[in-house]
Amino acid sequence: MSSSSVEEITDQSNDLFTQDGVLLKACSGRPVNELNSIGMLCIVQNSDGTKSIEWRPSDIITVCAVQEQDWALVNAIGRRQRTFSGNLTADYATARARIIRMPLNELKIFRVTNRNQQMSFSNKVGVWQSTFFFQHGNAEVFIAYLKSHVKTAKSSRDRNTYLVVEPTDETRALNRSFTELDIFQENTTDVVWNIVSNLKERPYETTMEAFSKLSSIGLDYNSGSQLLYYGNEASSKRDVSEEVADLLTKSMVAAEEAHSVTKSDEYEVISMKPTLPPRPSIPRSTPLSQEKWEGLQDTLGRVTEMDGVKQLIFRGGVAHSIRKQVWKYLLDYYPWHMTHAELKALQKKRTDEYYCMKLQWRSMTEGQESRFTEYRDRKSLVEKDVNRTDRTHPFFAGDNNPNLETLQDILMTYVMYNFDLGYVQGMSDILAPLLLLMGNEVDTFWCFVGFMERIASNFDMDQAGMKHQLLQLQQLVMFASPELAQHLALKDSGNMYFCFRWLLVWFKREFSLIDIMRLWEVLWTGLPCANFHLLICVAILEAEKEVLISGDYGFTEILKHVNELSMRIEVNKVLSSAEGIYHQIISAPHLTDQIRIILGLTPLGTSAPTEDDDAPEATGTNCKDNDAAANVSTSGTDMEEAVLEYDGIEISIVTQTVWALLA
Amino acid sequence: MSSKKKVLLKVIILGDSGVGKTSLMNQFVNKKFSNQYKATIGADFLTKEVIVDDRIVTMQIWDTAGQERFQSLGVAFYRGADCCVLVFDVTAPNTFKSLESWKDEFLIQASPRDPENFPFVILGNKVDLENRAVSAKRAQQWCQSKNDIPYFETSAKEAVNVELAFQTIARNVLAQETDAELYNEFPDQLKLTANDNGRNRDGDNCAC
Ligand SMILES: Nc1nc2c(ncn2[C@@H]2O[C@H](COP(=O)(O)OP(=O)(O)O)[C@@H](O)[C@H]2O)c(=O)[nH]1
Ligand SMILES: [Mg+2]
Repeated sequence: MSSSSVEEITDQSNDLFTQDGVLLKACSGRPVNELNSIGMLCIVQNSDGTKSIEWRPSDIITVCAVQEQDWALVNAIGRRQRTFSGNLTADYATARARIIRMPLNELKIFRVTNRNQQMSFSNKVGVWQSTFFFQHGNAEVFIAYLKSHVKTAKSSRDRNTYLVVEPTDETRALNRSFTELDIFQENTTDVVWNIVSNLKERPYETTMEAFSKLSSIGLDYNSGSQLLYYGNEASSKRDVSEEVADLLTKSMVAAEEAHSVTKSDEYEVISMKPTLPPRPSIPRSTPLSQEKWEGLQDTLGRVTEMDGVKQLIFRGGVAHSIRKQVWKYLLDYYPWHMTHAELKALQKKRTDEYYCMKLQWRSMTEGQESRFTEYRDRKSLVEKDVNRTDRTHPFFAGDNNPNLETLQDILMTYVMYNFDLGYVQGMSDILAPLLLLMGNEVDTFWCFVGFMERIASNFDMDQAGMKHQLLQLQQLVMFASPELAQHLALKDSGNMYFCFRWLLVWFKREFSLIDIMRLWEVLWTGLPCANFHLLICVAILEAEKEVLISGDYGFTEILKHVNELSMRIEVNKVLSSAEGIYHQIISAPHLTDQIRIILGLTPLGTSAPTEDDDAPEATGTNCKDNDAAANVSTSGTDMEEAVLEYDGIEISIVTQTVWALLA
Repeated sequence: MSSKKKVLLKVIILGDSGVGKTSLMNQFVNKKFSNQYKATIGADFLTKEVIVDDRIVTMQIWDTAGQERFQSLGVAFYRGADCCVLVFDVTAPNTFKSLESWKDEFLIQASPRDPENFPFVILGNKVDLENRAVSAKRAQQWCQSKNDIPYFETSAKEAVNVELAFQTIARNVLAQETDAELYNEFPDQLKLTANDNGRNRDGDNCAC
C-alpha cells in the first residue's frame, strides 16, 4: 500500500487503455503455437513518455493478478520480476517473452476487417506484421482510443485501412506511396497463392500449413526491429527476402477474407456485440433498525453475525439512531467479536493514544514551527481547507464555529499519525460527515483512520491509486456500456478524468450529508463485490448515457454535465441500479478475467492456487472488499446458506438468523 | 456563417491552493464572493461572454485543484489554452515563490506553439487584507523580468481589479491572435494537428 514501492519500479509503464479478450491471429516472427492465444490489447505509456501498442497473453495477466494484490500495479510487468520466485518466475518469463509491443511512433498503418472485429498493424506499408481478433464486441473502442494517440488518415484505396500520419504534411505523400505500392494487388507468386486458393475450403489448416512450411525452412520473417517481442530482439536479422514475408502476410490477409466469406466452423462463431443479460431491478430494503441490531448482539455485546449484519446494511443501510454505533464496526475501530467490556478498554486505550499524538503537535513552540517548513505548510493547508468544508451545513456554519476547530485538530493529529501521507486535499471532506455523526473527537479520529485505510491510495503522491481506478472504471464501462465507452473515447474522455472527484472523496461532493452517510455505509460492507464504488460510477453514467450520446457531448460538456449532477442523484436509485449492473456483469456469458479481477472474483485463466486470503493487507481500497466477497461466495463454513431471489436472480447468501430478520 | 466570428478563449487559472483561484473566477463570472466555496477537487470551468472592441468573446475559465500532487491529472485540462493566469496570495510569500514553477510546469505540459510569447497574466490576490507580505514592487519587478507579464493586484472578496484583469486577458489574447489570424485560414487538418500535439502530451500519465 505504500507509494514508495511504486517508485522502485524501474521498467515502469502505464496502461492508458486495455481491452480484454483479444486473440493473437498472426504475428510475423511468432512460432505457430503461440498464435490463437487470448490476451489483452493495450495502449501503454512507457517510462520515457513514448507510447506503444502492447498485447499480453492472458496467462501473464492472471499470473499477475494472483501474485500481486497491489492496487499500485497499473503496470504489472515492471515489478513482476522482483517478486517472483521459482516456477512462477519461469512461467512468468515465458509469458513475458510472448508480449508483443509496437511503438506508436513507428506505427505506420493499420486496418480493420471482419466487421470491425479484426485489426492488423504494421510499421511499413506492404506487410501486415500482426493481426488481432476481438473476441468480445469489436475493435471500435480500441480504434477510438488509438486515434486519440495517433493522427490517422483513411486510405484512399481502402476504407478500412488507416495511415498514421505525422503532424507534418506527410499525409499526401504516404497516401500516394500507398496507392503506388498497391499492397493488395492480385499478381503473386505461385507458392503462396496455391495456399491461398485452398483457403476457401480450409482456411484454418491452410494458414497453419503455410506457417509451418515457411517456418520449417528456417524463415525468420520478422521484418524489422520495430516490432519487438521480448527475448528475441537480437535475432531479428532478416535472412529471407521481403517478398516472401509479404506473401506470407498476404496469405494471412486472404485467410481472413476467406474466413469472413466462408465462416468456417474452425473459427469460433461469436455474436457481434455481446450484450449483457437484462438488468434485474432489485428493491432496496429498510435500514438496519435498532431492534435488529440489538438482536444481533449476544448478551456480552459481541456481534456474532458479522456477515449477516453486513448483508442487511448492504440491502438497506443503517437507521440513523444506531449509525454512530454501527459505523465504528464498519470502519474497523471496533472489532466485531469484542464484548462491551473489551470495547470499553479499547476505547480507553485509543483515547490515550489519540491525545498523545495530539500533544505532539500541540506542544510545538512557535520557534520550532518557524523552523519546520513542512509542518507549517501542512498546517496552513489544513486550515485553509477546514475553512472551506461544508460551511453551508449548520453544523459547520458561521464564524468561530468550534466544530471547525475539531476538524482542524483531528486532521493535524492525523498528520502526526501518518506523517508520510500528511494532509491531502479531500481529507477534510471525508472527515466532515464522520464528525457530524460522531460528535466525539476521539471516536471520529479513529473512524477516520479506518476510512483512510480503505482509500489511502487515492491520496498517493504520484496519484497511482487514482489512475488505476480510473483505468478500472474505463474497463467496466467498456464492458457494461460499450456504446458509452465508445462515445467517451471519441470525445477524448476515455481517461474518465471527469469522474476524478467522485472517486477521490467517494462521492462526497455529489450527495447531501445525509445521503452520503447512506452511500458510504453500504460501500463499507464490501458487498456484493470488490470495487462496488466503481459500479456506482457506472450506474450514474449509465443513467446519463442518453444525454451524453444524443447530445453529442464533447470533452468540456461531459465534464460540465457530470459536475452538475451534484446533489441531483438519488442515492437509493443509484445503489439499486449499481447492484443490478453487478448482476448483469457477473452473469454475462462473455465475462472476462479482467473484469473478474476488478470485482475481486477469481480469474478463470489461472491454474495457480488462489492465495487471496493471506494477501497481506493487499489493496488499500479492496482488501476488505475481497474478504467480504470471498465470504459471500464460499457457501459458508459455519453458515447455513439461504438465497434471496428477485426476478430469478440470486442476490445473496445470508444466514438463517438474518433471513429470519429480513422476513 | 455569421460575419462576426465567435471567439472562444480558454483561460487556465493556476496557483497554490488557497490563493483565491475559485473566488476570482466566481467574482468575475458571477459577480459574487462567498466564503462558503469548497476547495476545488478535480476540475471545473465557468464561461462568460465579454465584449472586446465590438467582438463577442466567450471566455472559458478553468479552475483546478492547487495541491501539487493533483497536477499530474490537472494537465489534461491545459490543452488548447489561450492564456494562463497565475495567482498568488499577497499575504503568503510562499505562494509568490511558487509562481515560477507554475509557469514552467504549465509550459511543459501545455506545450503551446510559441512558448516564448504565450500570454500569461499574474494576479496578486487578497489585497484587501492587512497582513500583506509581498510588496507590489517586488511582484512588479518579477513580472517585468519575465518578459513583461502584465500584473494586477486584485481582491476577489471586494471585487478589486477582477473585471479589469480578465478584460485585459481577453484583449491581449485577441491581439496575439490577430497576428495569427492567418492561422485560422489554415485547413482544418493543420489545426487538428496543433491540437493533437497538446493532446498527446497531456494524455501523459507520467508519475512526476
Ligand atoms: N480576504 C480575502 N480572502 C479571499 C480572497 N480570495 C479568496 N479568499 C479566501 O481564501 C480562501 C481560498 O479561496 P479559494 O478561492 O477557494 O482558493 P483556491 O484554492 O485558489 O481556489 C477562501 O477561504 C476564500 O474565502 C480575497 O480576495 N480576499
Ligand atoms: Mg479552488
